[in-house]
Amino acid sequence: MLSPLAEKLIDEYFNLPFPGVTGVRCPYFNNIRKRSRGQLRALVGKGTPKEIVEESKIISTQYRLGIFENDCSVCKQNLTPDDIRKFMIDHDLGIECSGFVSQVLRAHYRELKGVDFARKIYIYPPSKFLRYLISILRPIENINVQILADDRNSVAVNLGEAASGDIITMLDTHPTKKINHVMLIRDVKDGKIQYVHARTWSSEGKYGHGVMNGTIEIIFPKDNLMAQLWTEKNCNGEQNETFIEAKRAKLLQIRRLKI
Amino acid sequence: MPSAFSVQIFQQSLLFLIGATALAFALAPILTTILYKYKILRKAEFDYTLQGERGVKAGTPVMGGLLVIFVILIITMLFNWDRRYTYVPIGAMAISALLGAADDLLNVFGGKRRLRNIKHSLILIRIHQKWYMKIWHAVTLPWTAFRELTSIFGSKQDRGIQTHEKLFLQFVAGAITAWWVYSKLGQNWHTLWIPFDGSVDVGWLIIPIIIFFVMFTANAVNIADGLDGLVGGSLIMAFLGLAILSWMEGRTAFTPFNMTVIGALIAYTYFNVKPARFQMGDVGSLGLGTLLAINAIAINKTLLLPLLGFIFYIEIFSVILQVFFRRLLGRRLFKMAPLHHHLELIGWNEEKIVMRFWIIQAFVVIVAVWIALR
Repeated sequence: MLSPLAEKLIDEYFNLPFPGVTGVRCPYFNNIRKRSRGQLRALVGKGTPKEIVEESKIISTQYRLGIFENDCSVCKQNLTPDDIRKFMIDHDLGIECSGFVSQVLRAHYRELKGVDFARKIYIYPPSKFLRYLISILRPIENINVQILADDRNSVAVNLGEAASGDIITMLDTHPTKKINHVMLIRDVKDGKIQYVHARTWSSEGKYGHGVMNGTIEIIFPKDNLMAQLWTEKNCNGEQNETFIEAKRAKLLQIRRLKI
Repeated sequence: MPSAFSVQIFQQSLLFLIGATALAFALAPILTTILYKYKILRKAEFDYTLQGERGVKAGTPVMGGLLVIFVILIITMLFNWDRRYTYVPIGAMAISALLGAADDLLNVFGGKRRLRNIKHSLILIRIHQKWYMKIWHAVTLPWTAFRELTSIFGSKQDRGIQTHEKLFLQFVAGAITAWWVYSKLGQNWHTLWIPFDGSVDVGWLIIPIIIFFVMFTANAVNIADGLDGLVGGSLIMAFLGLAILSWMEGRTAFTPFNMTVIGALIAYTYFNVKPARFQMGDVGSLGLGTLLAINAIAINKTLLLPLLGFIFYIEIFSVILQVFFRRLLGRRLFKMAPLHHHLELIGWNEEKIVMRFWIIQAFVVIVAVWIALR
């Protein structure tokens, strides 16, 4: 199991703390298309649930979008979680895979080992001075899948050794674009790896994506990850887009962070 | 020549105050009628701060600061015109007020402006069909870069005068003041008064110091102008502090001058408290911010400006800190900047913020006067 603080944070991503509305699952947002520079963490897909809700509040207030009551203390009564998710997606609010994993691991290691995960990760060398400086000031924003999968930060482990807090990295999952993905192992029990990640599936359309749980049932312990049974949203095999993405990845590994 | 604490100057200055107040009260209805007639009103669709309870502010006339500017101009030019002392403060105030007026009018009547970024300019330099346009884009490239740089400090604007244009014109106002102080007022003004420590001769360095304070204070007052009565009441206290300091030092031109400003502000604030009959607009806030800085510089109390204009400085520092946190650390320090918007978002009502800011401003001005007396 992850630490209670990390579990609480995951729950908050699944149920964003919007006052007066429950069940708002955090949507997916990746800054790669928008390429905002020097923006708030919550606006580049790296924010905590509280930061994301706070930013939703401010955007709703600034542009009079009617999500919150005038005093901002509570959401409007007639709003459903889907309305709020639609508002968030339309305004580029959400979390991306490495942002989600980094925030959860930060909470996990803070509670477990009393260390700041983001400060322990190798991001840029001091020789790249400007990048190095920015990564010191804004570590979470600069941690991406490649950095998590770097040998200086993590080490590959076998399927049988997988444990909570490990990550599943998928590098180069697209034939032409540089796309990577990361998932966090929440628990391993009864021969099943329970993972959580922030992702987008094409079958879910514009408004269906976000943080999601899934399992990998270990049916062939001596084989690799792709030989196991991946289940997410009651979909297996080719219906499971996470499985498809993993299949396309040039490098698929379970890695343990060197913290 | 009247000396410090002269009863004669005090009596004369009070007369200026009373006259300015009476004139401002007389002109206020005329100004309000003109502003309504020409529909110089605050438009909700361009102003994201007008939501919730603040929505009632939509339709309120802007450019109410003209009242103060006109009264100061009329009274000073008729009764306190002194080529050595008052004409440059009046001139610099007028330049800033004109800049503010242009911004106010463009915000109300102007359309959206098309603004090029550096990338766009670089492409045009490369591919424009006309050679002279290529040269034009190349020559104006530093200006475009300056605009992009300054845009990180302001919210997204597509109407009115842009931040970089404002800064340039404020620099001109600051430079005029610096030239006046350095070359016209004499050797005494090359020294910078240091609280608790006498004075230090800074020579020509007084020029950048003055430019900085004029620009900073003008923008500070401009930024603080967001709640009914806030800037008017706080400026009354700031100029009252300046009037006391000028009177204590026996400055015959500046005591009545500062009292004139207070008189005009009394009438303005009477109409500006919630619910406001009109709002100051940039014409007033930039003009009076510039004047506040110049009048403090002119009595050699430049370094007291952060105390005399305490609320304004706090407001502008809240914006600077917010930009710093946002751009460098990726998070907000305040829910919204400037500070008064943050306080509104955490649930303080407008009256509470304004009253508390007035009280704080009054107290800090008293501290400033005490420091000056040491």
